[in-house]
This record gives sequence, C-alpha cells and structure tokens, in this order.
Amino acid sequence: MSEQQAEVTTDYEPRIVAFLCKWCSSAGSDLAGVSRIQYPSNATPITVPCSGSVSPMYILSALKKGADGVLVSGCHIGDCHYIEGNYLARRKIHLVKELLGFVGVEQDRFRMSWVSAAEGAKYSQVIKDFVEDLRPLGPQTKLKADRS
Amino acid sequence: MTKKRTGVFVCHCGNNIAATVDVKKVAEVMGTEEGVAYSQDYVYMCSDPGQNAVIQSIKDNNLDSVVISCCSPNLHEKTFRDNAKRAGLNSFTCEIANIREQCAWVHKDKERATEKAIKISRSAVRRAGRDQALEPIAVPVTRKVLVIGGGIAGIQAALDIANAGLQVILVEKQATIGGHMLQLSETFPTLDCSQCILSPKMVDVSRHPNITLLTYSEVKEVSGSVGNFRVNILKKPTYVDPELCKICDDCANVCPVVVPNEFDLGLTARRAIHIPFAQAIPASYTLDESACLGLNPIRCGKCKDVCEVGAINYDMRPQTLIEDVGAIVVATGYDLYGQEHMNELGGGQIDDVLDGLQFERLCSASGATKGHVLRPSDRTVPKDVVFIQCVGSRDPANHCAYCSKICCMYTAKHASLYKHHVPDGRAYVFYIDIRSGGKGYEEFVQRIMEDDEAIYLRGRVSKLYRKGGKVRVLGTDTLTGQNVEIDADMVVLALAMEPSKGTEEIAKTLKIGRDKDGFLAEAHPKLKPVESVTAGIFLAGCAQGPKDIPETVAQAGAAASKVIGLLSQPTLSHAPTVARVRNSHCTGCEMCVSACPYNAISLENGKALVNEVLCEGCGSCSATCLRAAIEVKNATPLQIHEMIEACLA
Amino acid sequence: MINIQDMRDTARDLLAKNEVRAVIGYRRGSSGMNAEPVVITDAAQADELVWDPTCFHNLALYLVEDRKFLAHTRAKPGLPIAIVAKGCDARAIVVLMQEHYFKREEVYIIGMSCEGTGVLDERKLASQGIQASNAAFDGDDYVFTTAQGEKRIAAREVMADRCLECRIPYPREHNVVLGEDKTGRVLAEPFAALKRFEERDAAERWIYWERQFDRCIRCFACRSVCPMCFCDECVVDSISFPVTAQTTAEEKANRVRWIERSAVRSENITYHMTRAMHLAGRCVDCNECERVCPVNIPLRLLNNKMEREAREQFGYEPGASIGAPALVASFLDNDPEKFIR
Repeated sequence: MSEQQAEVTTDYEPRIVAFLCKWCSSAGSDLAGVSRIQYPSNATPITVPCSGSVSPMYILSALKKGADGVLVSGCHIGDCHYIEGNYLARRKIHLVKELLGFVGVEQDRFRMSWVSAAEGAKYSQVIKDFVEDLRPLGPQTKLKADRS
Repeated sequence: MTKKRTGVFVCHCGNNIAATVDVKKVAEVMGTEEGVAYSQDYVYMCSDPGQNAVIQSIKDNNLDSVVISCCSPNLHEKTFRDNAKRAGLNSFTCEIANIREQCAWVHKDKERATEKAIKISRSAVRRAGRDQALEPIAVPVTRKVLVIGGGIAGIQAALDIANAGLQVILVEKQATIGGHMLQLSETFPTLDCSQCILSPKMVDVSRHPNITLLTYSEVKEVSGSVGNFRVNILKKPTYVDPELCKICDDCANVCPVVVPNEFDLGLTARRAIHIPFAQAIPASYTLDESACLGLNPIRCGKCKDVCEVGAINYDMRPQTLIEDVGAIVVATGYDLYGQEHMNELGGGQIDDVLDGLQFERLCSASGATKGHVLRPSDRTVPKDVVFIQCVGSRDPANHCAYCSKICCMYTAKHASLYKHHVPDGRAYVFYIDIRSGGKGYEEFVQRIMEDDEAIYLRGRVSKLYRKGGKVRVLGTDTLTGQNVEIDADMVVLALAMEPSKGTEEIAKTLKIGRDKDGFLAEAHPKLKPVESVTAGIFLAGCAQGPKDIPETVAQAGAAASKVIGLLSQPTLSHAPTVARVRNSHCTGCEMCVSACPYNAISLENGKALVNEVLCEGCGSCSATCLRAAIEVKNATPLQIHEMIEACLA
Repeated sequence: MINIQDMRDTARDLLAKNEVRAVIGYRRGSSGMNAEPVVITDAAQADELVWDPTCFHNLALYLVEDRKFLAHTRAKPGLPIAIVAKGCDARAIVVLMQEHYFKREEVYIIGMSCEGTGVLDERKLASQGIQASNAAFDGDDYVFTTAQGEKRIAAREVMADRCLECRIPYPREHNVVLGEDKTGRVLAEPFAALKRFEERDAAERWIYWERQFDRCIRCFACRSVCPMCFCDECVVDSISFPVTAQTTAEEKANRVRWIERSAVRSENITYHMTRAMHLAGRCVDCNECERVCPVNIPLRLLNNKMEREAREQFGYEPGASIGAPALVASFLDNDPEKFIR
C-alpha cells in the first residue's frame, strides 16, 4: 500500500466523516490528543451516544453529501457503555457495508472499527490507514449529490 | 421559528490550541455562520475572566445557546454548562466543540488544523441550534432497600444501609442468616475465628430497628424501576413461631426423623425439626416440611406435644409479602462446584475425599467432630493429608475457565489448621501456581510452607482411588519432573466457586444480566463494578464473581454507599437526554422495544412509550426504527443530519 | 393438486357463517389473461374466485390497505378478514404480525400451497411467443388457452425466478390450507440469480447499477405495492408527512430531508439503498416491486442480497415466526465482525 501511495502525488485530500461513540472511541480519540499522537486531519469527528445509534441513513447521507469515506467507531464487543448497542451496530452496519459493496461502491469507502478509551494509538492508526486507503480511490462521486 | 442566537467562544488554551489552530480565524468564520449572533476568542475560556466574559456576552447579545470551542467535553462540558446556567440559559443548550484533543494536539499543519477546527465548531453550532432546553428528570424515590441474601455480603450491605437511616428488608433463603462464612472455622490470613467475627454482626442485624429480617423467604417477582421497585416475597412456613420458641431442643429430642445436616455438609445428621446451629439468627427452630412425617398430629405430632410454650403450629401457611423499595442489593453468593463433576478425582464417591467446606466443618469447634480433625470414614486422626488446589478452576476444556481466587489462600489455611491440630501429620499441597495477592497473604503462605512445613508440590493430580484404608493419590511434581504417589488418609479438594443455585432464576426475576460463567454481570467491568446493568440494582459478594471476605465486605460497603447515595435525596435526578416517541409516526412495530438494552420501552395503545427513568439515551431505538418515530433528545437525526452537512461544507 | 372449488367453498362458508367480514382473493381480470385482486363480502361472490399461475399479487398489501381504511374511518374491525395466501404472501403476513400491524386472530389465512410450481413470469412467456387468454395449473405444467388452442408448457420454463428459487412454497402460517406441502423440492438453487450477478467485479457492478438507478423515475410504484412499506410517512419522502392534531409547527418545519425528491442518480440510489436496508429481514421475496416497476429496475437483486446476508450471516429467515424479533433489532453474540478493524 505504501509504495502505491508514494506514486499518488495529487493534492487530493479525502474528506472523512467519523461517527465516534461518546464513551470509547471519542475518549480514545481524546487520548490520542493527550498523547500527542499525530495523524492526518482528514477526518471530522461527530460524537454520537453509541455506535448503536448510528442509523444507516447517517452513512448514506454522509456519502451523498460528498464524504469520500465514512468511519463508524464504537466500543469493543462486551465493553459497550450501553451493554449491547455495539452488537446491534455490528449487525446493522454489516448490512450497510455489504449493500454499498454490492452496488459497486469501493469497499474502502466505508470502515468500522472498535476503539476503546485506552486505544489512542489505535484511533490514530485507523485514521492513518483509512486516509491512505482512500487516497488512491480519488474523490467519491458515485453517491455524491450533483448539486454544487 | 425565531432565528437562533448562538454564541461561539473559541479558546486558545494558552498555546495549546492556538499553536496549531488559528483561533481568531475560527472565531471570525463562526461569526458569519447562520444562526450565530456573536463570536469571540479568548486565551483561557475556562478561567474566571473567560467564564465571566461568556456570561456577559450571553446577556449583552441576548444569546439563546452557546458553543465553546475548546478541550474535550469530558473536561469542561460541566464547567461551561453550569456557567451557561448562571447566565440564565438552559444548560443543555451549551455544546462543546472539541478542537484540542481531537484537533490541535494531533495535527501540525496550521492551515488544515484550522480548517478542521472550523468544521468541528460549525458542527457544534448546528447541534446547539437544534438543542432543546431540558431539565433533569426528577423521580420520587422510596427510601427503603431490599437486600437479597443474608451472607456476609448481604449482612454488611444491610447494616451499612440501615446505619445511614434507611429502611432495609433483608431476605434470606435459608432458616438463618450467616451464609457460607458461618461454616468456616478460621479465616485467612489472621486465623481469627469466623463465627466470632460474624455472630456479632448477625445479632446487630436482628436487633437493628431499621432492618426487617425475612429468613426462609424468597424474592419471587420484581416490577418497577430505580427508585420505585415493587417486590413480591414468598415467606415459607417454618411451622415454629420464632417469638415463642425458647430453643430448648425438646422438640428435636423427640423428633423421629433423621436426615443429613446440610449446615455440616452431611458430616452430621439432624432431625426434621431443627435449628441450623446453636447461634442461628433468628434464634428459632424450623420444621423441615420435606422431612417431616406429615405435619399431622395423627401421624406424629411429637414435637407439638412436647413444646411447652406452644410455639409449633402445623397450620402455618406460605405468606406473600409485597414491599415497595427504591433500590435492591443482590448478594446471593456462591456454591462450591460439585464434586460429582470431578470424575477424574472420584466424582464424590471416594470416602475421605472432602471438599473445602467439609474440611472447615471438621476443623470448626462447633462442627462435626467438635474441632478435632478426624477422618469421616473411621474417625481416626489422618496422618497424611493431601490438599489439591484448582479443582474445577482454570480448566476451560472440562470445567470452569476462571480462577476461583480464594483457593490458594484457604488451602494454605487448611494445611496450617491441620498441622496445628496434628503436629506430627504431613500436609501435601498440589498447586498449579500460588496466587497470594492481598495484604499479608504472601507472608501467610510462606509461613505455612516454612514454619508449618506443608509440602508444596507443583503439579496436578491425575487420579484418586481407594486402596486399603487409604486414598491413593497419583500426581506429578513438575518441578522435579517426578511422578508422585501418596497414600493419603484424607484428601481435601479446593473446588471452584460457582454462582449459587438459583442465581439464574434471580437474574431473570430482576432482569439483570449474567456473565459467561453465570455470575451476575456488573454494568461496567472497571467503572461500575457494583452496579448491575439495571439502574437501582447493585451487586455484592460472590454472586458477582469469586472473592474473599475482605473483598466481599468492601464490595458490600461500596454497594451500600451507592444505594445511600442514590436514595439520599427525596427525588432522583436522571439525565433528560432520553428517547422521545413521535406518535404520529409510530406504528407500534416493537423493533425499538426489542432493541432497547434497558427494557425502557413498552407498547401502550399501539404506540411505543419510553420509561424516561430507565432510558439511558443510547439511541439504539432511534437507529433501529424504520419510521424515524423515536429519537434521543438533543442527539436527534435532524441534528446529526445538519452536523454531517457542516462537516462536509 | 388444488381443486379451485375447495377454495371457493371455504370462502363461501366463511362468509355464509359470518365468520369473516370479507375475503381477499383473486378473480378473473377484466382484460387479458391475468388474475386481479378482489375483496368479496358476499357468499354469492365466492364463485368469482380463481387460482391460477397469474395470481402474482401479494394480497397482504390489501390487509394493510384494509387496516389503513379502518384507521381512517375509525371503524372497529369486528370480524376477522380472510385472505388467500401463497407461501410468500403468508410469510409477509407473518412479518406484519411480527410488527404488530394486526393481530393473528384478526386475519383468517386461506393458505394455498404452490405445490412446487409457482407463478408465471409474463416476460418469459412473451419470449416464448405465447399470447394466452387464460392460464391454469396442471401438475408440473401450465396450460394456456391461446387463439391456436390449448398449449401446455412445463411450468419451470416460464415460471418466475423467485418461484424457481423459492425455499418454502407452502404457507406454514394458515387457518386452512389447500394443496400439499412440497417444501424441499428445489427447482433452482436459491439465490442463483444473485450469485450470477455477484460474479461481476465492483466496477462492473457499479456500471450496471448506475444504468439502473439513472432510469428510476421515482414513481414509487415499488413502495406502493410493497406490503412492508406501510409507514404513514416514508423517511425518504417527506411529502407524505402525517399531520395530526398533535403535530407541532416545529415538527413540520424540522423534518429531515435525507433524500431530495428530484429523480437524479444520487437521490435515486439513496432511495433504493434505504429501501433495501428497511426491507432487510422483512422482504419475503414476493417480487411485486420488480414486477410493477415501469422501467424494469432489477429490485429483486437488491432485496435478495439483503435476504441472503440475513440468512447466511445471521441465520435469519424473514416471516418464519410471529414471535421472533426483527433482524436489526436483535443480534447474536457470534455475529460476524471480521470487517471491523
């Protein structure tokens, strides 16, 4: 991937919307900050109560509004602050991901991760990887609304 | 709708934010956003002058909501919400844009970091623009507590709560309180007598004006929610009036029925009418219905005839009591993993192979042998005793995967007690490794090894069988690599702890979860170790997982303090960011009902109805609903929709 | 084989004995070969009912319509309503009951086993060059009445794909059932069409769907014909906002516009993907959406994709049990999560 990356020398910066659960992933992202772990600024976080509160509509909507990638991140299985919200998220988001792939949207446009409050380094890695994987794909136009 | 008047306050955080984010630019751009009536930056927003500036601006500009672009909401959300309230705003119309941890501290390129800070701030402005003014939900509470289980955990929790002035109902399944601790002879590492430290607490329970003790009783039904539970308690008949019983023992002397005594784990026998042990609380006999010849004067009636005070009443009936309580502590304890599961160690069929609790009863002064260590088969003094640790524990393939935590310590204690009783005997201990974390624990084990000369063999026992008058023990000492054969007079198995029988049932009754091993599940493994997943229900003692007495007492105290904290006010305050149903859209499909982790949603007249006290605002319902008929206040799909737009603008 | 007279007798009896207030079934169409839905309320109309390979319609839709009509007129349902239901239709009714749209006792299901055949695909018939005025079941064959006389064709040659691939051609949930249970008689591998499609790579799939979605005119026929699309307001089409006496002005102003109404690609694709998501675990593969689509968008592929994911990944079968929780409102501890980082 990194070799391929080196070849891409455009100014293109993927725009990512990151839905982070309040208790684990947003806290994990905070820890990355406290630890001053640097990562690309492409992802704008939206803190939600729980990964289980992320409606498929949020994901489709973000892509429609021109996001090049969408991330949903929650607590690890078993650690959900709301006991089982992430179990529900896992099932629902599996379906969204499959559907996106089915109609031919690149699999790398959508990502889900478990990031605990202790995993600042992991959060930064998730973003780094995501940005690197998105770069070669170029801007997302498939679902993006045509309006300027 | 009138136009929003949001104020945006961008913090430099000294140089923490300002070094990588052009805060002046952020404030400037925010000032041009729709719905923003005022914006400014300041070097330390959270400082006194910073907060005062916010208050002043709210008043001067007639703001209806504020966004503070600063550090993580985990640090100062409360600060700024309280501050907004001081300025006359509703605290829930204040939002934090985290441009420090999630932006300034993780990026170097100033231009791009500034761009991201603008997006984050704009997104918060959108959220604030749609925030509703909310007030914490006040729930009146019943200042009464149900404690289930009368072992040391339940006793400690009940006393702590009662001492704080709250009413307590302590429900115990058995005829006496005290639980397993009462069966122990001495306790590690100090070797103080278990009964001597527990009995006074039991008496305290029975005499405490704030405690209602219900022994021989079980919780059958629980409804309601935190602050206001309604419980249904079944009080089984003891056929003896405890008020009248003089514990003279005349009834037991004439009773013709003899059955094994469960208090001594079958090492002794008792009559159908019995008292579990002399210092039982309540101090009264109990007539065991299943053993009695028939509660019928025509068939027997000897006990009733002999009772001078007329305490025995064959017509006593089960009673159902209904109680309203505000909180519940579950302390239903443990049982030992049954020997019958241990086929490789005889499956409980070999004479003189005892479990840990039976050995306690052998050592106890009040026990089967009045404190003399005699082996059960022929009542001789055993000279070679083998203690085996980790029996049933740490064996995911065949038995329990977990460590039962106390066996290393109580086995050392057993070896020590044995050596004190039989100084010329030999105590062998088979162990996998020694886990002696705890105050004075490691020193205790070392003392047993060195001073008491217990022989510690690192390895597992593969087989036990009866040979001659002995129990042949086949094992391995992995440190020397030698096979070991011992002809033991007695073998003591440190069996795993498992949740007490009935834990599954009580978990269902209370609608609280269990973990993979069947122990009651805490709400959070680190941060909510004594809370169950259901608000208002707390856990104490081994019902939640294996633990020793000090830990149990500590957890019981913690559960008690949570209860006291919960019920210290006349009303409970609950976060108002709960789910709201749009009746016009709800079709009553019940998807939200099954998605809700808290059972907070029910169907009322064909529409979903949220119990705001139970709802934690996770939003699982909202993401599941196909009809957008349910949403969490101040985290609505409309807000998220606009925030997505703000992030991508 | 089912004797049509048995179905008519059942309907007549139910109405004559006043056990139901109406029977939803099929009757001869007013023109051409195809049957059409009918609601009969008089025992004398029972002989109008037909049962033939053109009974495509999922009549569960009319249960939904009935319920909406009752709600609108604030009438009490009173007697149950009877419905003629194929295996797929009966599963749709079960899903509606799972979602408490009506209660079991409010519906009398006259189950019709497809006995291992199923309904006709008109396009397949047309491609055989047959123009018929009538169609009938006869064992494993369909018999068509044409200008040239009677024409017999093996059913599997002109049967709808969904019937060929049907796993449960028998209405398990029923009050009375006609015909034998021939579940297990597989005519084609389930999800065969889907599997063929998935052999294409992502880029090819996109090119394919792009063409399909570009065609959509957003007439919403797919939604109108779907018994699962019973919401009063569709989340993707805020025009149908249900305004009640309790609706506040703020609510009206604040509805979320997830999708614009213009029939352009981005909006079309979001509409169809949202619909597929909302049908996951609920679609019973009656394929009415695809049949009524005026621009021939292969909607069954989308719905099939979700159905297969639900089945293979989560062990979920839509319409299997009235008491079962919805697919997306439940989970298993071992749901797949390899895709999560």
